[in-house]
Amino acid sequence: MNEGQPPVENGGVLWSDGMDLLKDVAERKHFFPTGLEGIDTLLGGGLRKGQLTELTGQSSSGKTQACLSFASHVAARHMGVVLYLDTSNSFSPSRIARILDEIPISLIKEPKDVRLKRVMSSIICESVFDIFALFEVLDQLEVSLNDKVNNGGKKICLLIIDSISSLLAPIIGGKYSQGRSMMISVAMILKKLADKHNLSVLVTNHMVAGNGAPKPALGESWKAVPHIRLMISRDRGSNICTATILKHTLMASGRHLRFAVPG
Amino acid sequence: MAGETGYGPREWLAVDETAAAFLSRSLSTRPPILLPPPLHRAPLRPGNVVEIAGPSNSGKSQLLLMAAVQCILPKEWEGVYFGGLGKAVMYIDLDCRFDVLRLAHILRKRIMQGCGSAHPASEEFEKDVSKDKSYSFQDTLFSDCMKHFLYVRCYNSSELIAALKSLNSQSEARGKVLGIGIYFLMLDSIGAFYWIDRAPQSTTESKGNVISFQSITENVVQEIRKFLHLQPVLVLVTKAPIYGDGITASNDFQRGSSKYMLEDSTASRYSKREEERNGSYREYMPSAWQTLVTHRIKLQDLEQESGFSSEQDSEVLSVHTSEWLHPSLNTKEKFYIKDDGVGLIQ
Repeated sequence: MNEGQPPVENGGVLWSDGMDLLKDVAERKHFFPTGLEGIDTLLGGGLRKGQLTELTGQSSSGKTQACLSFASHVAARHMGVVLYLDTSNSFSPSRIARILDEIPISLIKEPKDVRLKRVMSSIICESVFDIFALFEVLDQLEVSLNDKVNNGGKKICLLIIDSISSLLAPIIGGKYSQGRSMMISVAMILKKLADKHNLSVLVTNHMVAGNGAPKPALGESWKAVPHIRLMISRDRGSNICTATILKHTLMASGRHLRFAVPG
Repeated sequence: MAGETGYGPREWLAVDETAAAFLSRSLSTRPPILLPPPLHRAPLRPGNVVEIAGPSNSGKSQLLLMAAVQCILPKEWEGVYFGGLGKAVMYIDLDCRFDVLRLAHILRKRIMQGCGSAHPASEEFEKDVSKDKSYSFQDTLFSDCMKHFLYVRCYNSSELIAALKSLNSQSEARGKVLGIGIYFLMLDSIGAFYWIDRAPQSTTESKGNVISFQSITENVVQEIRKFLHLQPVLVLVTKAPIYGDGITASNDFQRGSSKYMLEDSTASRYSKREEERNGSYREYMPSAWQTLVTHRIKLQDLEQESGFSSEQDSEVLSVHTSEWLHPSLNTKEKFYIKDDGVGLIQ
């Protein structure tokens, strides 16, 4: 078909070799400590930039608490700006203040109210109630990340979507395939943003009843999407949580760890 | 006509090549490839297209990485035998979940194993000199091998087709630099864009130019065939099943699914639960793809038998099964995946 054409220089396709990839990982794709020691140990350091992590669990198992905790820790340690997309108005500044109070004394170098103000200004919270609003927000995010102008020196480094399943579950299923295609499109956009702009993306998922044990929502098509899938469950009436790895790019699945969640 | 070119009927009837010569020529230019288990059961040669199918978490990407490491390791390096193929691998990532650290981990383990068996007494020498020498030897080999691994990421079907079109020029360019040729081509998850491509296009710029999943797949198949003509390589493709009630019936799907169902019904050892699961698997790849694929292996994750523990640590490892569908070998093999590799369970 194209024999007569002069050879185009790869047509814009970027091939890299193994050493380039390793260099990229070593220089740019670092780990974020999350502040929850149990999860940090389980994940071998924390959330990784460039990866899409899913946190799934039943209601009131500690998912939102974990998300708020991650956001606070990243913001408190000057690691960058956090974009928190909230689908159910569960973002609570008072909970963030309580989480910050629990941070060990050694890390405190400034008065509490100054730190609280700084952390709050590093967390951008947006309410997103449907899939189209999510597409719009991600579009704007991509434009602002592509923008070369330095906007005050603070780039977004963590994107949290709590919870993405409440946006996607209503549209998948049913006769038309458009719902699933939107889900996969969102997944591709998130992974592209994570890789190109060195973000760590965290999404939460709820659980539904299956044949027997409850299973994560969003079905089988979603299983292939995240890099890392974590399941969190809380023992009844206590603040001991168990985190289990459902899927990980580096480790075998099945590992779990029990830890105490503050507050 | 005979008189013009001096090519008479006698010459036309003369033998070009005997069967023995043909066989030996074909075996030398396209030698059989031995892949790590569980892919070792079927004889594979460059030019074959192997489809590794299985649900999520059944070990497909792990098998690809093992095969890649087998390819990029040299057969022998500075006197140490590694048993690899010593060629380059091109990896097209459609799932965008490839983790280079895992590849690096597996490669380092293989290199250490190779060095360990070559110098079994090296553990006794705790002196820095020999340690440094062995580290730099391993590091140089490691970076050499990693340079033989070529990678590209595609976020949609158009990028995939562009990447496939650039295969030939890229492999030639890299071949000149590296001095070796491409031997494996890997595609991680051929069905990654299935839902995106199947969604009905509400607005089309040019009338009648609807891009469907079928036409995209035919395009992909055409590009792969073109590349295979110019450079015979072994193609390894992973495929995740698609579960969907919204799959509209078309000739291809019905034909494909009935073929698949027939293979399933001949194996009567499936438990009821597996039957339920298999019932919802449908062959969603069009017939153009199915004619391209020459070998098929199916992987599954055994959830019930999670009580297998390895000898070293008491961790519970997940057990997977593999089954060659084409060529149909009628045996299911069990294997487990550790952090650094795959082991067969006898």
